[in-house]
Amino acid sequence: MGVKKRRPLEGVRIADLTWLLAGAGGPRLLASLGAEVIRIEWRDRLDFLRYMPPFASRTKERSEKAGAMDLTGLDTGKVQSVNRGGYFNDINAGKYGISLNMKAPQGRELFKKLVAVSDVVVEAFTAETMQKWGLGYDTLKAIKPDIIYMQQPGWGYKGPYVKYASYGPIAQAVSGLTEQSGLPAPHPPAGWGFSYMDWSGAYYCAMTILMALYYKKRTGKGQYLDCSQVEPGIGMTGTAVLDHAVNGRHYQRTGNRSPYTPAAPHGAYPCAGDDRWIAIAVTSEEEWQAFVRIMGNPDWAGQSRFASLAERVQYQDELDRLVSAWTREQDPFDLQERLQAAGVPAGVCQTAQDRIERDPQLKHLNWLLPLEHTEIGTWPIKDIPFHFANGRVSQGGPTERAAPCYAEDNDYVYKELLGLSQVEIEAFQDEGII
Amino acid sequence: MDGFLFDVKVLELADEKGEFCGKLLAGAGADVLKIEPPGGQATREIGPFYHDQADPERSLYFWHYNFGKRGITLDIESPPGTDLLKRLVAEADVLIDAQPLGTLEKLGLDWNALHALNPRLIYVVLSPFGPSGPWRDYKANDLVHLALGGQMMCCGYSPTDDGSYDTPPIAPQMWHAYHIAGNQAFIATVGALIGREMTEVGEMIELPIHQAVSVCTEIDVPHWIYGQTRCYRQTGRHAQPAIGPEVQFPTKDGRYSIILPNPFPGGYETLVGFLEGKDKAGDLNEEKYKEPKNRRGRAFTEHFADIQAACVADFDMEEIWHEAQELGIPWSPIRLPEENLEDVQWQTRATFSQVEHPELGESYAYTGAPLLPNECAWRQGPRAPLIGEHNREVFCEQLELSAEEVADLQNKGIV
Repeated sequence: MGVKKRRPLEGVRIADLTWLLAGAGGPRLLASLGAEVIRIEWRDRLDFLRYMPPFASRTKERSEKAGAMDLTGLDTGKVQSVNRGGYFNDINAGKYGISLNMKAPQGRELFKKLVAVSDVVVEAFTAETMQKWGLGYDTLKAIKPDIIYMQQPGWGYKGPYVKYASYGPIAQAVSGLTEQSGLPAPHPPAGWGFSYMDWSGAYYCAMTILMALYYKKRTGKGQYLDCSQVEPGIGMTGTAVLDHAVNGRHYQRTGNRSPYTPAAPHGAYPCAGDDRWIAIAVTSEEEWQAFVRIMGNPDWAGQSRFASLAERVQYQDELDRLVSAWTREQDPFDLQERLQAAGVPAGVCQTAQDRIERDPQLKHLNWLLPLEHTEIGTWPIKDIPFHFANGRVSQGGPTERAAPCYAEDNDYVYKELLGLSQVEIEAFQDEGII
Repeated sequence: MDGFLFDVKVLELADEKGEFCGKLLAGAGADVLKIEPPGGQATREIGPFYHDQADPERSLYFWHYNFGKRGITLDIESPPGTDLLKRLVAEADVLIDAQPLGTLEKLGLDWNALHALNPRLIYVVLSPFGPSGPWRDYKANDLVHLALGGQMMCCGYSPTDDGSYDTPPIAPQMWHAYHIAGNQAFIATVGALIGREMTEVGEMIELPIHQAVSVCTEIDVPHWIYGQTRCYRQTGRHAQPAIGPEVQFPTKDGRYSIILPNPFPGGYETLVGFLEGKDKAGDLNEEKYKEPKNRRGRAFTEHFADIQAACVADFDMEEIWHEAQELGIPWSPIRLPEENLEDVQWQTRATFSQVEHPELGESYAYTGAPLLPNECAWRQGPRAPLIGEHNREVFCEQLELSAEEVADLQNKGIV
């Protein structure tokens, strides 16, 4: 029919003062839905992710090895360019980028001009920063009466911990998610091997802004949003909170087992190869029979102590030992195929390499999107996992580009949006404002 | 106060794959009507249970994930049930469908038919692997999703000294694959609701849970893309290309704390000052460490971590971290979920709320809003619906069936 596909958030403009993932990931998702996200940065306090390996190297040689959380050791002098960080490129895809010195009064005046043409202001500064700059909600609202202003200090703005710091590992630890991950005591918690609450922080940032944008569409009203990184984590522990409230029970880790739906075997089992594992989850009698068949009907599987699900759960330690002895000889991917073909839920514990180079389903779903970056060229960027039939939705967003280089879109924003002249722009540059 | 989504009507045909998304939409103010098969959704069989008694009305899992929804029972696969479903679809804004692929299609309700019934409908399909592709019919649960999605290979315990692992990768409990998918489904759904304000036309959204989960890791993917470098799981911290210094340490009372560095200028000096105040600074005051260049490298970071660990070991878990945080030092306790109920921060922000269960004569603490509501409210109740609790309200009042008609449907096992 030739109808032009439209982006759901067409016409929505977001002034993005965030950084890292918990902050900057939210506007990334809004860009995928079509919002014009303008990421504001200043050279004296750049996003750590701009300095964080891996870097895109021209020669495609192996990138530098360094720790993601070891921020104290960052040597900004060593980085050839702040535009080459691979992780930054992923987290900021689809955004515009400008430079603006918010510490300078003239910079803040320019920011107010941007607020006047924006729908949303989102920031992840420490709590009082915007107030201190004279840019609290009252000021923003006076400039743009229907502005949506979202503040997301780690622990929230209201409350005694307003000044406390939060990063993903902190939010995970406090909320209870870390304690809930791992083998039973006396093993310590295993916790999370990535900042789950940074992604969750990003999700809830996007979700909250979207809720407020919908409300604004329906009522014309903007609002102030006081968010935290920890509370969404608490929200994911609700069943354990209830188990305590109702039954007085304290959570106890159970490794990879299935405490709330009887299932056995249920866990990660070793396979042939270096650090290779397969997750297997057998719940129904039918699945157990199929599993035994794929194992080649070993004698032990016919023992009476494995006859029923209840018994398999009861003798799980022994069952796991026997299953492991068998899986250890199997190729993980071949075993996954055979088990799934027989109707047994199973999946290899996939590495990033597996997902990128091997996983045929992710490939089929086009989970990686090639997007061009002005300085480092085209690289695969993780696309959003929701596929719209009508709307135009992808991680390229309105820029149809990966992350912006530092100050890449100053001309577009300052000239086209704010109507500054070339002379004015050069003057601001000379004065260290933009 | 209005809810954010005060005028949005949602129908939910979902098990654990879609119930979290529905719960969030209800929290945000939408009217979420959960359609269960007669006898109740299978998720009512998931524990833990009220007083450990397995019963479809006593699943605490169901209570949590269906908080704030209304509920009816309907056999949608029976012809009268399909007709009633169509009438509900005609009046809905959103339909969440996490049933086995093809369930509605078999009833003659594919996307085109749904769209014809209600051109403004937003139809959200959550499926394990997506509507097509080589793994379309694979079976999964939370564990299998977190394996295939990459979370497990990032999470677990450090290798032994020879570099080999003697512990498996770990899937963090409980149901995070569905949290991850539900959060992103919520984003897509509300995005589509906003887009509909402009286009006046509905939308179909496919959300393969495998893809949603696979994009929710951090540096493992960029490290492979940009450097063909693998990340290794290690206890309590990020999977990385090399084994890094520990950040999780035991406390005096047998619990654990997280200690992270303050990455900002002056962060090191503040921390040393704090440790000194506790008489725990070790040799960190020595002249050589005043030079930042002498504070780089593995040997120093491990030494630095050991000194902090020795400090944490002399205090109870909840004893020392406030003092550190007041100074900007990012330390925290590793809490059990329920320990947050006692925390003044969450009491101030009303993060938990007491929810009544009138039929039990009890009320219990539930986790509540993920933000502090100011101008729009986050839903405070009611508790999850009992089986068929809103049948009369929906069938008689909304769809204007007579009491006899409903009784007839009940007798036939359709309601």
